[in-house]
Amino acid sequence: MVECGRHLNIQLHTLSEVIGFNGEAGNFNVTVKKHPRYIRPEKCIACGACAEKCPKKVPDEYNMGLSKRKAAYIKYAQSVPLKYAIDPEACIYLTRGKCRACEKFCPTGAIDFEEKEEIVQMAVGSVILAPGYTPFDPTGWDFYGYGRISDVVTSIQYERLLSAGGPYMGHVVRPSDEKEPRKVAWIQCVGSRNTNRCSNGYCSSVCCMYAIKQMLITAEHAKGQPVEQTVFYMDMRSPGKEFERYYESAKARGIRFLRSRPHTIEPGEGGNGVRMRYVTEAGELKEEEFDLAVLSVGLEPAKGSRQLAETFGIQLDNFGFAQSSNLSPVHSTRPGVFVTGAFQAPKAIPRSVTQASAAAAAAAEALHVVRGTLTREKSYPAERDVSGQAPRIGVFVCSCGINIAGVVDVKSVAEYARALPNVALVENNLFTCSADTQDMIAARVREHNLNRIVIAACTPRTHEPLFQDTLKEAGLNGYLVEMANIRNQNSWVHQREPEKATAKAKDQVRMAVAKAALADPLHKLTIQVVQKALVIGGGISGMTAALGMAEQGYPTVLLEKADRLGGNAWNLTSTAKGEAVRPWLEGLIEKVNQHEHIKVLTSATLKTAVGSVGSFVSEVEVDGQLQSITYGAAILATGARESRPDEYLYGQDPRVMTQLQMATRLMERPAEIAKLGSVAFIQCVGSRNEQRPYCSRICCTHTVKSAIRLKELNPRMNVYVLFRDLRTYGKREELYKKARDLGVLFIRYTLDSKPRVTSNGRGLTIACSDPILQMPLELSVDHLVLAAAVEPNPNHDLVALYKCGFNADGFLTEAHPKLRPVDMSVDGLFLCGMGNYPQPIEESLAQAQATVSRACVVLARKEMQLDAIKSAVTEKCDGCALCLDVCPYRALKLMEENGNGRPRRMIASDPALCKGCGLCAATCPKGGIYVHGFTLEQLKAQVVAALAANG
Amino acid sequence: MTTQTLPLGGAPKSLFKDKVMDLLPDGGNLNACLTCGACAAGCPATGLEGMDPRKLLRMASLGMDEEILRTQWAWYCTMCQRCIYVCPMKIDIPQLVFNLRKSWPRDRRPKGIRESCDMALRSDTCSAMGANEEDWRYVVEDVAEEVRQSQPGFEHLLAPMDKKGATYFLNQNSREPVTEPDEMVPLWKVLHLGGVDWTYGSKGWAAENYCMFIADDENWEKVVRTKAKAVDDLGCKYWLNTE
Repeated sequence: MVECGRHLNIQLHTLSEVIGFNGEAGNFNVTVKKHPRYIRPEKCIACGACAEKCPKKVPDEYNMGLSKRKAAYIKYAQSVPLKYAIDPEACIYLTRGKCRACEKFCPTGAIDFEEKEEIVQMAVGSVILAPGYTPFDPTGWDFYGYGRISDVVTSIQYERLLSAGGPYMGHVVRPSDEKEPRKVAWIQCVGSRNTNRCSNGYCSSVCCMYAIKQMLITAEHAKGQPVEQTVFYMDMRSPGKEFERYYESAKARGIRFLRSRPHTIEPGEGGNGVRMRYVTEAGELKEEEFDLAVLSVGLEPAKGSRQLAETFGIQLDNFGFAQSSNLSPVHSTRPGVFVTGAFQAPKAIPRSVTQASAAAAAAAEALHVVRGTLTREKSYPAERDVSGQAPRIGVFVCSCGINIAGVVDVKSVAEYARALPNVALVENNLFTCSADTQDMIAARVREHNLNRIVIAACTPRTHEPLFQDTLKEAGLNGYLVEMANIRNQNSWVHQREPEKATAKAKDQVRMAVAKAALADPLHKLTIQVVQKALVIGGGISGMTAALGMAEQGYPTVLLEKADRLGGNAWNLTSTAKGEAVRPWLEGLIEKVNQHEHIKVLTSATLKTAVGSVGSFVSEVEVDGQLQSITYGAAILATGARESRPDEYLYGQDPRVMTQLQMATRLMERPAEIAKLGSVAFIQCVGSRNEQRPYCSRICCTHTVKSAIRLKELNPRMNVYVLFRDLRTYGKREELYKKARDLGVLFIRYTLDSKPRVTSNGRGLTIACSDPILQMPLELSVDHLVLAAAVEPNPNHDLVALYKCGFNADGFLTEAHPKLRPVDMSVDGLFLCGMGNYPQPIEESLAQAQATVSRACVVLARKEMQLDAIKSAVTEKCDGCALCLDVCPYRALKLMEENGNGRPRRMIASDPALCKGCGLCAATCPKGGIYVHGFTLEQLKAQVVAALAANG
Repeated sequence: MTTQTLPLGGAPKSLFKDKVMDLLPDGGNLNACLTCGACAAGCPATGLEGMDPRKLLRMASLGMDEEILRTQWAWYCTMCQRCIYVCPMKIDIPQLVFNLRKSWPRDRRPKGIRESCDMALRSDTCSAMGANEEDWRYVVEDVAEEVRQSQPGFEHLLAPMDKKGATYFLNQNSREPVTEPDEMVPLWKVLHLGGVDWTYGSKGWAAENYCMFIADDENWEKVVRTKAKAVDDLGCKYWLNTE
């Protein structure tokens, strides 16, 4: 958010709504109504005086009504822009003409009751709609008593209870008596998968995982006595990357998962807590009391999205989400208007972020001919020369709401820092990263002539660039900032020992101050960018990525190991929404083959990869011939494949087949299949077990689709699906419902009682048991279809070449699952498709388009700047070359030169390859190489400071 | 519950469940079950002789027709509809139960409610308790008189009988006049205070209809028609059934 707020090429219009829209793709006219804020943003310093003095209290919607806010307010402490606003519906002056207390107390005269609404016209080429979702409101469901029984809350309210910035500052208490609940129950699918009390026949996709997250956080928060936690569910849906492990970890922690829905929630004794009756899966009736019930509410299309759709002339689906094809997931029904996030379909953060990048790529593709014509570049004030000046260090200690301050005594840390050598100024901030604090820090640098800054807050991994930028704006070199991570490495891990945590925070600050005192200004290197892309893998993801890069004007090489493009898509009939795959696939291949900017290399393998972001060189083997290619960014779309089952008579009886084999038969010989009397499917064959502890994500939907197809071919066919949890997430739930309506029988099994398959002359026999009736079943079927696990294509060689990574299951690893879902840890590398994780076409395509957006960030400029934290060789180097062996990035070379007539051996470092990891410096026995920003002197100063007694 | 293995698959069978689905709008959603158990958790009969609405539906889905057509569970249901009220899929289990009841030979349906139905058919009062017209008139007038005498503020309370052209025709479960006559009074007071123009009828006044509970469609209809005729004969505009 802060980055968005600070970005030069993003104009924020808050309190605004679109009231008019016309034109066509590439040339739209947007009319925006800006509602008055009644507080001038250029004057507001977010001191909070207006809110403090405002006499009018209203329920705080951000805390879901669990607390109150004033009529003069900010939504939350990290709001962007961090400017107060006056709620015109609550303000006493604006509703009744008297008060104006805020105006009297505002120190900067920012209050402006005369402000009127404003109409703004904008000319834009593309539009992205991302209005998000509205949580389902269970008020009308009398059987759960929400709104009537105080200890029934929604999951969103519970989220606020858990939050450090929430009404109880992260201390979980129940509403009735503000006591800590010791026994909490979650009820899943409230407002999802329900066509009776609401019309939400879809799965909201996110609730299973957020409920597990809330339970694990609750377990962490519970001081002393553990909290008993139960979740009532129908199917646990954890089909995302690493989600299954998360679910298993919750089970291992003792969280009780009950496959059951209570009928009614009744108030507990004395009006505290709740009571409910439920039946176990075996049919046993139980009655139980809980201190608190949490309703896991689903996602509905955002309020006002119908109006928005009307304004923009786009169509919505029958649930009210934006309509888009699974073959072009971010395109709305109107050219030039793109849709993303939960507005398109319910989805969690990683997929939303990915889709956002995809929408950005699609929007940019339409405008690439005018790229850069309206952008603004940031200019900084001239850098102040601090060489020769004695260090004057400013220390800023962050409370991070109560993330840090809840454990560490930040006031005492700040007080302590004042006495440290070279420290000229110390301040404590609620959120040091907030936009207003950045301005404040810059001001302090100037006022106090500071020349080094220490930020005691969180991790430099996410926040260092922000503070570096702040320093530059204040005329200081960005590398003069040092961070002490008193959150991730302290308050988050020492919650139970606040005193020791405070002492440790002082140690951390002392070390950071010692190091900062020795910091030198550093300057970034500039490299020339090869404005070309390489895409590895010619399936639908790779082709879409290649096409996207080419459409943006970048020459692209598309590498495919097989002899034809297309990959797994050749085996697919249709998408989950029913669009035919084959004609689209053939069209896509045609476009890729014909594109002037794409060079397709089939039967090709990548042999080498040297270089780094902006400038890579590789050798590619095509039909035994080597050729060299250069590129600035690479997209890895290496794909996955259906695994070969080793159970249920697969490979022993021809009537047992995999999903893809069945798909082929359905495509090629439907009449033959229609004659079958009975067909069974077994799910999770090779998934969610010890060998592959992940969910293959796509099989449930695929099976349900196949089952529907069988029933449509022959309604009298017996179709059985043996499953563990049916995971037709999102709108795919409609297919599950349709299959049931058509009479497909779903029978659950567990890992402890897997089906047993035998064959005889007449057919196959499957022995299993019915979980509801608790009785053995014996299915006689003609065919058995196995939902075989999806496994990644082997990519060890690629990973070794690029020094990138894969997870324990062999899927390529993204840099950050939520924040950077399609970037890899190696700069300049991106990933998409099933090589990252099993996923359906529409998600693969969104990822592919997202990589285009991300790769374009690298390729858009002719020059790019590299980080200044690099190794540097000193005069003490004697060319012993010990460092060469330890460098993981092959950034070092041994050079020989003639100095003074004598040959001299010396190491040279390639800054484009060096990652600044420091292995070389640690290995060198004679100080012949060091890393900027981590000199031996600096590290020594830190160690000395660490060992010094805590004053 | 049997622990014998249930064979499935093979030649397609015609299931009882499918016949019921053919009768109902949207097939009563009988196929849509997510087996969540909300019905069983809320059913007042759950646990009586192992009664479990979810199991009943599951048995129907698995084609255990012989068992469901025989089970006494069909008679434990109160038709209260708590199951369908919270069912995420709005599955009409009560209709499944009703059709199971219908499949029973009439003489084997539970004696108590069967005889209540038979009793109602014997006279045009429709009283399952056999309360006749004279007793009914007497009790109503006697109770009303007692209220007028003893309860200040209700000196003018009326419980009209056979008042032609009254706006509302009110039914009364015959359990009240027979065993708990005072229970009738609160509603009279409400109608009195509201100034409502209403009447009882000497014919077709009994609100209960056991022929429905016994799934005897023909006689259920007969009883309803008898009652409707009584309303029409008095020329009343609305029929209020308190059952």
